[in-house]
This record gives sequence, structure tokens and C-alpha cells, in this order.
Amino acid sequence: MAVFSSTEELHRIMEDLWNAIKSDEQMAGQLLASRLIVQFHYREPEGRLTIDCSDGVEMKIHSGECEKKPIVEMFMKSDVAHEFWLGKVNVPMALLQGKIVSKGPVSKALALLPALKPAYPMYPTVIKNNGLKVSV
Amino acid sequence: MNPFIFQSPTKVLFGEYTTTGCADLLLELGAKRPLLVADGFLLESGMLDPMIDNLRGLGEEPCIFAEVPSDSDVACVDKAAQFAREHGCDSIVAVGGGSVIDTAKVVAICLTLGGDLLDYQGLNCIERKLVPLVVVPTTAGTGSEVSFVAMIKDKKEGKKLLFGSPYLAPDVAMLDPTLILSLPPRLTAATGMDAITHGIEAFVASGTFSVATDALCLESLRLMFRHLPEAFSRGDDMEARSATLVASTMAGIAFTNSGVGIVHALAHSVGAKFGTHHGMTNAVLLPFGMEFNMEQAEQRFARIADYALAADCLEFSGKTDSYKASFLLDRIRSLLVEFSLPRSLKELGLPELDDDVLNELSCMAASDPAIMFNPRETTDEDLIEIIKRAY
Repeated sequence: MAVFSSTEELHRIMEDLWNAIKSDEQMAGQLLASRLIVQFHYREPEGRLTIDCSDGVEMKIHSGECEKKPIVEMFMKSDVAHEFWLGKVNVPMALLQGKIVSKGPVSKALALLPALKPAYPMYPTVIKNNGLKVSV
Repeated sequence: MNPFIFQSPTKVLFGEYTTTGCADLLLELGAKRPLLVADGFLLESGMLDPMIDNLRGLGEEPCIFAEVPSDSDVACVDKAAQFAREHGCDSIVAVGGGSVIDTAKVVAICLTLGGDLLDYQGLNCIERKLVPLVVVPTTAGTGSEVSFVAMIKDKKEGKKLLFGSPYLAPDVAMLDPTLILSLPPRLTAATGMDAITHGIEAFVASGTFSVATDALCLESLRLMFRHLPEAFSRGDDMEARSATLVASTMAGIAFTNSGVGIVHALAHSVGAKFGTHHGMTNAVLLPFGMEFNMEQAEQRFARIADYALAADCLEFSGKTDSYKASFLLDRIRSLLVEFSLPRSLKELGLPELDDDVLNELSCMAASDPAIMFNPRETTDEDLIEIIKRAY
């Protein structure tokens, strides 16, 4: 059974998490410096999240359809995203196995992975606050 | 044992003059009109004549594209794809080194999927089988004949484009040692060191190696350590050439499944900045990358020494992992001396590296996909330190 029961729940939780990341000066600073626009495409349930750092000043978080053209797109099951934020995904292995599809200049997206590690401990709180009942 | 997935979709054929069976292979794959993407030098030398004669058996004069530069780019791919379309080609045969093979892979994307090439840049973005691709490597090093990856330059944008997908694995790799007999000693050594780097980095890759990749790495390295010096000093030694060719393909299958590491990440950045030869750059950086990884990978390095170098060092029994790992490192260093290859980035021809260049190189290496697989986590400072030491 999928971790997220609906697109709305998936979007709500991912938006909350990214807002927490945005509030963290260090993480936000590194992401803004990249000036990337990253779009996540989730399936089971479907969902889409766009993180826009292109102006280098303010990180914009947008769930659902977005007109902004992404620089990098990541495709994965919603469950893989959940496991990722719990720090349980071996990203190299997931890429080798095709569980994560990365479209665009992959290196730019991969360079941000270390910067996102401090967000892992935030995620259990975010899902708890949203009433998601899963073991972490 | 950890769970793993091991894929190797490419059929591998080995043998002297095996390429003269190319036409039958294409027919088996349902193809009749191949585009032959060939190394210009080999074509002019006449070494490909038996294969071209064989391809004539398909009924038409083969379409030949022999304009691939050493560092292929989008313009070359577009030109080759256009040429293939004009001649109604339904498949590709690539004969050459890494640049020729990578070009052929990207041409296969264009012929099959059309549209904008940039739509397929990335990892796992290709969702269906491409036109049949038969590959004949003419160096023993890149492993591109079995890998899922292709890299070409976008000169207009000044970027390297990476394409990675199991669908990029060639359908068939034909390993014909007669085609590498004339490879010059320096190129033999540099490409061979590339294969050794693949074997070592794939063997210590972080969390992705498996018993299957271990077996390939160890035997590949044993063959390379034993036969690369022979192939270097006696280019016409068919046994040595055969062993290095097969070993290179084995290492290619291994790194395709487990990844490479910091040596490749740094070599890609140095190569992109200064246009240095990939194998030669790997050769220079390998000892420094191994030193950096020593603490995390000592046991694995020792296993390589135990298996691949045991014949060179009869007093291995009772020795510690530390001793064996150092022995392996020393063997790599001694090979560079034996092959008269550069041992520093300075000897490789790099100019003085100021802080701006060091930062640029470390940033590029830190964002290279290869770095993900390195057994030791790296910081920008680590990368700069390694480059400085290697200089």
C-alpha cells in the first residue's frame, strides 16, 4: 500500500518539508546559489512539485502544474520520495536500478544532495504534524 | 549477502577476425542497412576492409561515417544522424575508441526517438529500445562497448552532456584482438590504465558492488596486471592483446553495475577543463585517489592484491591488509614508470593551478555523478587537496 493516500496529502507534506528547508538559512543559501529549477514528478499517487531557485533570492515552492520550465526533472514513485527523506534510499543504487529518473544536467541536481542531508531529521516531524501514520 | 541487481544485456563475441561475421549478426537483429561509424585512421589503414566486405553481403554498399573527432560533440552526432536518415539506415555499427562508440550511441537515440537530443539527457530518460547497435572497440580500456552511458560535448554551450540508460547498452560487442595489434604503446598503456581504474573503482564502489561485479573486477585486474605490460612492450603479442581486450570489457560490465569513483570524477573535470586524454588522466590520478580512499577501502584493495597480484609476490601469506593494499598502490605507481606515463598533473601538461582553477575543478568533480559511488565522502577541500597533491 502506498504511503501517501492522495495527491493532496503528498503535496501538503512535501510543501511543508520544503518550507522547513526554505527556513533553514544554510540549506536555502546553498540551493539558491545553484539557481536551479527542479521539478519532481511523483506517481502512485500522482504529484508534482517545483522548487524554483532561479532568482537566487527567494526559493519558490509550487505544487501541481507549473508553467516555469524546469532545468532538472526527477521522476519517482511517491514511496521512493518518502524513503529518500527518511534517509533510507541508496541514491546511486536507485539511479542504477532506474527507480529514480533524472532528466537534464544530472550533475547539477546530484551536487545538491549533500546540502539536503540536514533536512532528513525534519521529515519525521513534518509527517507526524500531518497525521501520516507510518513507521519511520 | 546484500541484495543486488546485475544487468548485462550486451552479447559479447570474442575472437580473431570475429568482425567478419557482422552481417549475419545484423540480420539476426532484424537490420539490413547499417550506418558504419568508424575511426578514420583505421578506415584509411585498410584494417576494416574485411569487415566492410562482409557488410557488402547485406546487398548494398555500406554507409560509412568517419568524421568523429577525439572529443565528439552534438554537431558531429547531428551530422551522422542526418547522413543515416538520408541513406535509410536501420542500425549502427561502431568501430573505434570511446568517442566513436559514444557518438554511435547518441546517434542511435536520434534515429530511434527523434526530437530534441536534450530531452534524453540524464539518467534513465530513454524508455524504449533503440535501433540495433553493434560495437567493435579498437582500444582496450573504455568499456563503452558494454556500458549504459554515453558522453558528448555541447560545444555551443560549453557543457558535457551525459546520457545514461540500460537501452544505451549495445546489442552486441565484437572483440577482435587483431584490430588493436597496431595500437601504439603509449595509447595501449593509457587505455589499459583506464581499464585498471574501472576495475579498482568498481570493486570499492560505495554500497553498489556485488559478488557478480567482484568476480569481474578481480579477474579483469588479474588479466590486466599480467598482460598489459606484455601488450605495451610487444604490441603484436596476440595473447596479451586478447587478454587486455577481454579484461577491459569485463571491467566495463562491472562499472556499469556498480559505478566508479573519485578518480573518474576528478579525471572528468580535468579533462573537461584542459582537454587531457581520459585514460592518461585516470592513470595520473589513480594513486592519489587510492591514497585518499585507503582507510575505507584498505580491505578491498588487499583483496585485489591477494587475487590479482599473488603471482608477483609469493610472500603474501601472513601479511596484513595494510601491507597488501600498499603493495597494490606501489604496483600501480611502478606501472606508470614502466609505461613512461606522466605521474603528476604537471607532467600531464597542466599549467600552474591558481585558486580559481582549483575551485572550478573541485566544483566540477563534486557534481560529477561518479563521486556518488566513492567509498569515502568528499568535501571541496578534500578534492582541492588531492588535485594539489597530484600536481
